Amino acid sequence: MTSFAERPMSSKPNDCLEGGGDGAAPSTGRVFNIQRYSLNDGEGIRTVVFLKGCPLSCPWCSNPESRSSKPQVIRRETKCIHCEVCSWDVAECPSGALELVGTDMTMDELLKEIEKDDVFYRSSGGGVTLSGGEVLTQARFAIELLKRLKRLGYNTAIETTGHGNTALLMEMGKYCDEVLYDLKIMDPETAKKTTGINLQRSLDNFRGLIAQGTHVVPRIPLIPGYTMHAANIQAILDYLSEFDLKEVHLLPFHQFGANKYETFEMEYELKDVPVPTDNEVEAIKALVEARGYKVNVGG
Amino acid sequence: MSTPRIERLKADLFKDKREISLERALLYTESHKQTEGQHTLVRRALATAHILDNVAISIRSDELIAGNRTVKPRAGIMSPEMDPYWLDKELDIFDTRPQDQFHISEEDKKIYREELLPYWTKRSMKDFINSQFPEEIKAATAQKIFSVNQTDKGQGHIIIDFERLLGNGLGALLDELKDHSVKNPDNAFFSAVVILLEASIRHIRRYETLAREMAKTCGDDGRAKELLQIAALSAKIATEKPEDFFEAIQLFWYMNVILQYESNASSLSLGRFDQYMLPFYRASVAKGESPEALKEYLESLWVKTNDVVLLRSTGSAKFFAGFPTGYTILLGGLTANGRSAVNELSTLCLDAYQSIRLPQPNLGVRVNELIDREFLRKTAETVRMGTGIPQIFNDEVVVPAFLNRGVSLEDARDYSVVGCVELSIPGKTYGLHDIAMFNLLKVMELVLDRNKDNTEVTFEQLLSEIRQDIRHYVKLMAEGSNICDIGHRDWAPVPLLSSFISDCIDNGKDITYGGARYNFSGVQGIGIANLSDSLASLKAFVFDEKRATFKEFIEVLESNFEGEKGEQIRARLMNRYDKYGNDIDGVDTYGSDILRFYCKEVEQYANPRGGIFTPGSYTVSAHVPLGAVVGATPDGRHSGDQLADGGLSPMVGKDQKGPTAVLKSVSKLDNYLLSNGSLLNVKFTPSTLEGEQGLNKLADFLRAFMKLKLQHIQFNVLNADTLREAQQRPEDFAGLVVRVAGYSAFFVELSKEIQDDIIRRTAHEL
Ligand code: SF4
Repeated sequence: MTSFAERPMSSKPNDCLEGGGDGAAPSTGRVFNIQRYSLNDGEGIRTVVFLKGCPLSCPWCSNPESRSSKPQVIRRETKCIHCEVCSWDVAECPSGALELVGTDMTMDELLKEIEKDDVFYRSSGGGVTLSGGEVLTQARFAIELLKRLKRLGYNTAIETTGHGNTALLMEMGKYCDEVLYDLKIMDPETAKKTTGINLQRSLDNFRGLIAQGTHVVPRIPLIPGYTMHAANIQAILDYLSEFDLKEVHLLPFHQFGANKYETFEMEYELKDVPVPTDNEVEAIKALVEARGYKVNVGG
Repeated sequence: MSTPRIERLKADLFKDKREISLERALLYTESHKQTEGQHTLVRRALATAHILDNVAISIRSDELIAGNRTVKPRAGIMSPEMDPYWLDKELDIFDTRPQDQFHISEEDKKIYREELLPYWTKRSMKDFINSQFPEEIKAATAQKIFSVNQTDKGQGHIIIDFERLLGNGLGALLDELKDHSVKNPDNAFFSAVVILLEASIRHIRRYETLAREMAKTCGDDGRAKELLQIAALSAKIATEKPEDFFEAIQLFWYMNVILQYESNASSLSLGRFDQYMLPFYRASVAKGESPEALKEYLESLWVKTNDVVLLRSTGSAKFFAGFPTGYTILLGGLTANGRSAVNELSTLCLDAYQSIRLPQPNLGVRVNELIDREFLRKTAETVRMGTGIPQIFNDEVVVPAFLNRGVSLEDARDYSVVGCVELSIPGKTYGLHDIAMFNLLKVMELVLDRNKDNTEVTFEQLLSEIRQDIRHYVKLMAEGSNICDIGHRDWAPVPLLSSFISDCIDNGKDITYGGARYNFSGVQGIGIANLSDSLASLKAFVFDEKRATFKEFIEVLESNFEGEKGEQIRARLMNRYDKYGNDIDGVDTYGSDILRFYCKEVEQYANPRGGIFTPGSYTVSAHVPLGAVVGATPDGRHSGDQLADGGLSPMVGKDQKGPTAVLKSVSKLDNYLLSNGSLLNVKFTPSTLEGEQGLNKLADFLRAFMKLKLQHIQFNVLNADTLREAQQRPEDFAGLVVRVAGYSAFFVELSKEIQDDIIRRTAHEL
């Protein structure tokens, strides 16, 4: 069986949604993965920094390990060699099956990792994407990081759903070449109930970013039974019609996150939901293209 | 898409089981028996001429280009003059051996045993080499610390000066050589070349006659017309220089076949085809030839290069599986004055490959800062097909690497590749590029074993002993290689081949006598990935964390990680310490320091031809047999398991951070020193590179590869089959990342159902 334990790590200010005001950036960020050679998260060849913590709870989430702001110790059954007694000590586990998800990294440590692929960013016009979780949960750290990345001349992007402090998001937008902005369920009630999002705030933030000149790319996750029905897609397109946007990304639902729910002993409601067929995706793509957008499937 | 003719030619090639033809061996021997007492060069020339005059020839149905080494497609031929013994030993297993099977009839086996073997026993090159190897070298090769190659077959690994052939024609070359021969009547080399050029002309004329006869009886007007064209063309180019693409390719192919009879060697490679063929291609275009006809002709040639296969011994086939003959070609690159050399023929060569998709010619592309973006995209497009072709070479490293070996700037810019990845200057080099392989990991094993009972041992001391042993065995390896070098001079000189290598005519010397402009001996250092990983783990486990004494640790290795305790230690060694290929300086430095040390040792030695030894690092398939002789190692590798593939690639499953990290780790090696060539395999899934965007990202990736000053990269696609293997052996695929927007996880972490789904989709894509 899979096991999961929450370790009482040092409690940091970024354990909860950051508030507004002009608080200083924390000295560390809590990262649960750094993925190099990412090709579907913005321009060129990129490194994606996955920040831990998300205030929402989308049932289709493929990174459920990102939700909790706390570091977690997990045991990966595929790696475990079943010692006589499990030490439950990450440092002593021989197989690496015990893993600490969520590491606090200083700005310098993080930049050192990021800069390793400098030559790939410069050759491809790529750079760094901050993903999550929801970047807004670590907004101050993210802003500082983006500033540093811009100074190095990297292309920068964030993936967000806009559910967070408006002032911080606007500030963050200033240091982003691209904001990949998730638009999910457009009925405020259903959205609130399903994901916990404050839809109005998310949409206002979306508008705000565009108003201040930030380059925003709407991303629509296509989740059967949740976002992927005609009325919802129409509602998104209607909302987008007020802006002068060129491009829309469609992210078809996939089941790659399913296993993680088991590892983290979390309920997974979409276990038996089939992924959209190519035809279904094509049909929606056509719908969006008919409104004059360039459509990118899969990011 | 290919034309129906090309599809038929392709199908015919692979219809029947490969056979062994004794013809060359019999004709060679017949002549050799009658030339006792003459100079080796002349004897060899007469034997080859005898083959050219008498070997059965054929023009197969549908063929546009004539010239077959054997009547039956893809037959192996023998050279018992090099080593008659392995052939004898394997006669009964050629049909059933695990690698590279060939059929041979009972009757032929009898002929071999009754006629060929008795004659060549005690007369072969192998006898000479065995008698010359000192005990110390024999012991080291028996221990598999290093191997000396090409002790049983032709040397090959060379590119002739095709411009010389095509620009002059055989008639003019014969006149030139006759002139030299008259002026130097005592020079056996010139006499030999004259004999061979005359025989080559006669050989081509035999095809003319054959084509005419076939035209008379073929009964199909269309085909008769084609055969008469072949006849007319052959008649002309038997002596005259070619004037268009068809003539040039026909002469080119005849000469490739003829050279095969001379040495039956691996990798008489093709060099920079898009450069020397360009004038002829343009001449045909100017004459108004249709692009379709030109492409079909090129595709015919591509198919033909798959007809010549090499008969290897079981041992050799393990090192070079899949009987590659090494019709290697490099496209693009630089001109003599340093501009981009990409032209319309470079693109056509890739296009022809895209429709044919056969393993030969083994195409590669040279990249540099000046490469045209369109051609880079065409290259990326071909790479994305996932067949491993073209492989990529980096001018930004290879050109300086050659300058460092004393090659002129213009010659360095003209480099190409022989065999698989061995770097060579076409038409000017006799490089013995594949003369030896050195097992660096085996040396480490010896040092660790030797110190088992040394209670005072330190990590630094082990490192220093490894260096000392490398020094010692490199010296022996160079000695052994030089004995083999002389064996080839005295048993198997190649005068015809030599006449197409610059400076041999001026020097009046065969390449084996040191006639070529550049004379290298290339020796490969293998095992750098496992060595880095082993040293890092050993240091951490024993010396830093003190989890066991050195002796206890060696005992665990000797037990091959036996028992639960052993398995736990192995798990820790495999999983808890840094591994080469992840862009981590600590571990990468071990490999780069030791490889550099190896290179600096190698380059100190000279060969009998007046050249120097040059280091390389590639394995082709040698990582399997070289791994088989090394016991369990501190990187957690089981006894006998394979080493990391390629040469510079990380150990299987150990690269956890993707291809950019792999490239960064390899970039820390001093790639400029590996002037004999290196090999890096990188795995990728085609789905990550879909669409226009994906294509451009791959092209950009290649640019980054170039800037990191790596020498070589080859892309292996992860197809449905390899993903199924990943399900079976997750350990070997631990680093395989599933790349989807805003998401990340390793393939082996997914549930069986999801993995199956990905496999289904992948199968569908291909
Ligand atoms: S220590 Fe690691 S390998 Fe051992 S039982 Fe625990 S999780 Fe498994």
